[in-house]
Amino acid sequence: MNAGQMTGARRIPSGLIWVAPALMVLAALSIYPLLYLIKVSLTDAHGFTATHYARLFQDRLFVVAIGQTALYASVALTIEFLLGLALALLVDSLARGRAVIRVGILAPMLLPPVVAAVIWRLIYNPEFGVLNGTLRQLGFTTANLTWTNGRLTAMPSVILVDVWEWTPFLFLLLTAGLQAIPPEPIEAARVDGAGYWQILRDVTLPLLKPTILLALLLRLMDLLRIFDQIFILTQGGPGSATETMSLYIYRTAFRFSNFGYAAAMSFVGLLMTMLAARGLMRLMTGERVRKAP
Amino acid sequence: MKTLVKYAAAFVAVAAALAPIYWLITISLKREIDQFASPPLWFGFTPTLNHYGAIFSHDAFGRYLLNSVIVSACSTLVAILLGVPAAYGLARFPWPRDWARGISFWILSNRMLPPIVTIIPLFLMLRQVRLLNSLSGLVMVDTALNLPFVVWMMRGFIEELPREIEEAAMLDGESRLGVLLRIILPLVRPGLAATAVFCLIVAWNEFLFALILSQTQSAMTIPVGIAAHVTQYEIQWGAMSAAGVVAMLPVLIFAAGAQRYFVRGLSLGAIKG
Amino acid sequence: MTTRFLPACVLSLLVLLAGCASPGSDKTLTIAVNAGVEGSALKTAAREWGELRNTRIEVVELPYANLFEKESLDLASRTGAYDVIMLDDPWFPKLVADGGLTPLPREPDADFLASCLAVCRHPFGTRNYYALPYVGNSQLFFYRKDLFEKYKLGAPGRWEQILAAAKAIGAGEKMFGYVMRAAPGNPAVADFMPLLWAFGGDIFDAQGQPNLSSPEALEALRFMIELGKSAPPGYAGYNADEVSAHLLQGTAAMSINWPAWIAAMDDPSKSKVQGKIDFAPMPSARAPGVAELGAWLLAVPAGSPHRQAAFDLIYWATDAGQMREAALRGNPPTRRSLFQSGDLVKKFRAFPAQLAALEGARPRPRTPQWNEIENAFGVSLSQANSGAVSPEVAMQQANREIAAILERGK
Repeated sequence: MNAGQMTGARRIPSGLIWVAPALMVLAALSIYPLLYLIKVSLTDAHGFTATHYARLFQDRLFVVAIGQTALYASVALTIEFLLGLALALLVDSLARGRAVIRVGILAPMLLPPVVAAVIWRLIYNPEFGVLNGTLRQLGFTTANLTWTNGRLTAMPSVILVDVWEWTPFLFLLLTAGLQAIPPEPIEAARVDGAGYWQILRDVTLPLLKPTILLALLLRLMDLLRIFDQIFILTQGGPGSATETMSLYIYRTAFRFSNFGYAAAMSFVGLLMTMLAARGLMRLMTGERVRKAP
Repeated sequence: MKTLVKYAAAFVAVAAALAPIYWLITISLKREIDQFASPPLWFGFTPTLNHYGAIFSHDAFGRYLLNSVIVSACSTLVAILLGVPAAYGLARFPWPRDWARGISFWILSNRMLPPIVTIIPLFLMLRQVRLLNSLSGLVMVDTALNLPFVVWMMRGFIEELPREIEEAAMLDGESRLGVLLRIILPLVRPGLAATAVFCLIVAWNEFLFALILSQTQSAMTIPVGIAAHVTQYEIQWGAMSAAGVVAMLPVLIFAAGAQRYFVRGLSLGAIKG
Repeated sequence: MTTRFLPACVLSLLVLLAGCASPGSDKTLTIAVNAGVEGSALKTAAREWGELRNTRIEVVELPYANLFEKESLDLASRTGAYDVIMLDDPWFPKLVADGGLTPLPREPDADFLASCLAVCRHPFGTRNYYALPYVGNSQLFFYRKDLFEKYKLGAPGRWEQILAAAKAIGAGEKMFGYVMRAAPGNPAVADFMPLLWAFGGDIFDAQGQPNLSSPEALEALRFMIELGKSAPPGYAGYNADEVSAHLLQGTAAMSINWPAWIAAMDDPSKSKVQGKIDFAPMPSARAPGVAELGAWLLAVPAGSPHRQAAFDLIYWATDAGQMREAALRGNPPTRRSLFQSGDLVKKFRAFPAQLAALEGARPRPRTPQWNEIENAFGVSLSQANSGAVSPEVAMQQANREIAAILERGK
């Protein structure tokens, strides 16, 4: 089985040749672009310069975009996680019809995000959309409910779309996690006379920790780079109420052809994303270490 | 009683998930006067297929559909062709120290790269080699998008398999490639299917790269075609919704067919891996 | 497994190669048009031309902002994806910079309106032409003649009068007295400029510095917000389609709008207010009312591989006969003879108003950084209209950002 080749003192792992093509493709299409990005961010029309990074600190809109991205991500993640967990536990406890119910719940996350955004754009239209139409039918006045057009309602409206579309994703991962839990500890606890919530808190959730961490991490990464829905729903408006980092970078690069500045912003955005990921991981695994007997 | 409440809650969840989709379908089938009707018409309207006809005749939607199919299929295929051997190499070969783990993690971290980070350099790079506005360029980009996932999932599945069968085969003189093709692949078929379906869906739904890397119809995919309908001058609801329905049907059908693999596949590959 | 894989690989390789085939073969012309009423006229004309010349026409139709993105990227990189492009006149300075557009082989004839031709020249004021004007758009004031008569309001002539009229109609009828668009970017700026000019302000002062904190500019913005109170809530996110929908559905009584929408107002399949909408020139305040020019031009990118055929198309589409056909389909022309032609005037009652507006129309500032400026300015305007910031803060913000943009462009 051990098929390592001896070439002088170095041993080339025999598995390398199997992994090499994938690694090369990724290097060409992920790593090289990253290095290229850094180069572009340090260049402008006159050559090597750090002005793009300097400009970042003075750019009010960049700070706003970061703040709004963080707000969007944290609110959406919390709601999606809680809702997804509740649904996963609920459906898992049903005796029959689980498969059908799961398929129904999963539908929104399969749609192209662009289509989901189009659906909600239709629903949210203040004059002709079905949301205000139904509210009017029920007797409410909808004069001030402008959803994606309103300064205060725009961000919640956009977050709601994300929740509708991606709670199924958390539901899916948490369901898979629940099914992977061995039944013995739960049985044992039940025999010992523990109640439902107690079992949930002390047995199920701790066993679910790795899955929860994975789910939160994956979803957080996607939330921080949210683009498709906002592009379709509001393009960052009204004003800059729903402006996120990706949208701002996109506009800077592709509408104003300002690649250098956009590259600098992208790089900073990447660093922040990595920090957020590490922060989340530390938050989750730190707790675990403390609870270990 | 408690079960009744639970089922009611589950029903509400499913209804909340499906109602907006149903609404989209109705808009695509309604005549323009009905679309603006107040109170909103959930049922009881005369359906029309005009909007579907319009998008295929006026709007080159057939071309977008074809492009989406080509890009999704090809990028999934290439991602699997590259990713499965890589997963095998990581799972079944000896590696010094913690290399296998390190490489896997590195591969996975590529998935963490926000597209907006790679899109600017990719745009500039593809422009230089004249692969902008081409399906090949999109296929390359989507392959890179899906490759980490394929490697990660398949590595999990392969590691699940007991080594004895492979070892026995190799003692019998089977080559490594043979083991992969004749023994491992048939055993991981459900996992492979789930992974492939997932890749197809990701490539089909992909928007940002397709938006930026395409300039004319020959390279535009369905999501880009839909976004083009979100105009600022006319409420083209009929066309927009018909396009949306056409965009989502293949995905829903595909996923419905493969759904039993999803949960199993994820619980095996993702959770344990 | 292998036996199934191989054909799949071959198939996908073939398909990949098919995808690789360069777009635009010898008998295809790619045109980029605006998604909406302005682009529809060119689409039809181009297809007719294509049939005459046995050439396939590929149409790329994109919404306003995305059209600009794609065009400017194509021109800057000389990728040659488009053979004919349609551009809004404020985009012209940016697109023509660095030789992005091909100079016209022949000077346009004198039948074209001077104001429309002026924006096709680079540098501004010289005689080098880089585009032909196709859609003669300059703003008009759309209003419900029937309601004005009902409330005895007299023809709209001054902004103060408009404000009073909007309040009266809004109070008396079940509709909004006014509607406008203030979505960040082009919509907000385009609807604000006439107000700004009417109150005697401008974006730049005589030295070319941003001048939005002037008392005139602040007054104009405050007036816009005051008008906004008679408009549907949420107008701070409106684009042209929402504005026109309100007019067409009869839920708003007046608005600034573009002549390209006139045809829809009388179209029974779209309008509930046929024959009730009339058109007036831009109202005045301290200064006489000035219509903003928003002509759509046709140009041929320098990177296009089919320039000769492209020029053939645009000269053909803009000649008097073809423009007459387009006018009959609802496209506002750019030729004087058409505005004065008897049968067209009889058919389009707004033609005299349109001609007057076009002749006096004023273009937006001619700077290659207009898009960035418009974007920054538009965000501040939208924020002021949605109440997120006060007018003073909004204008200061806008001034600062515009100054920074100008600084970066040096």
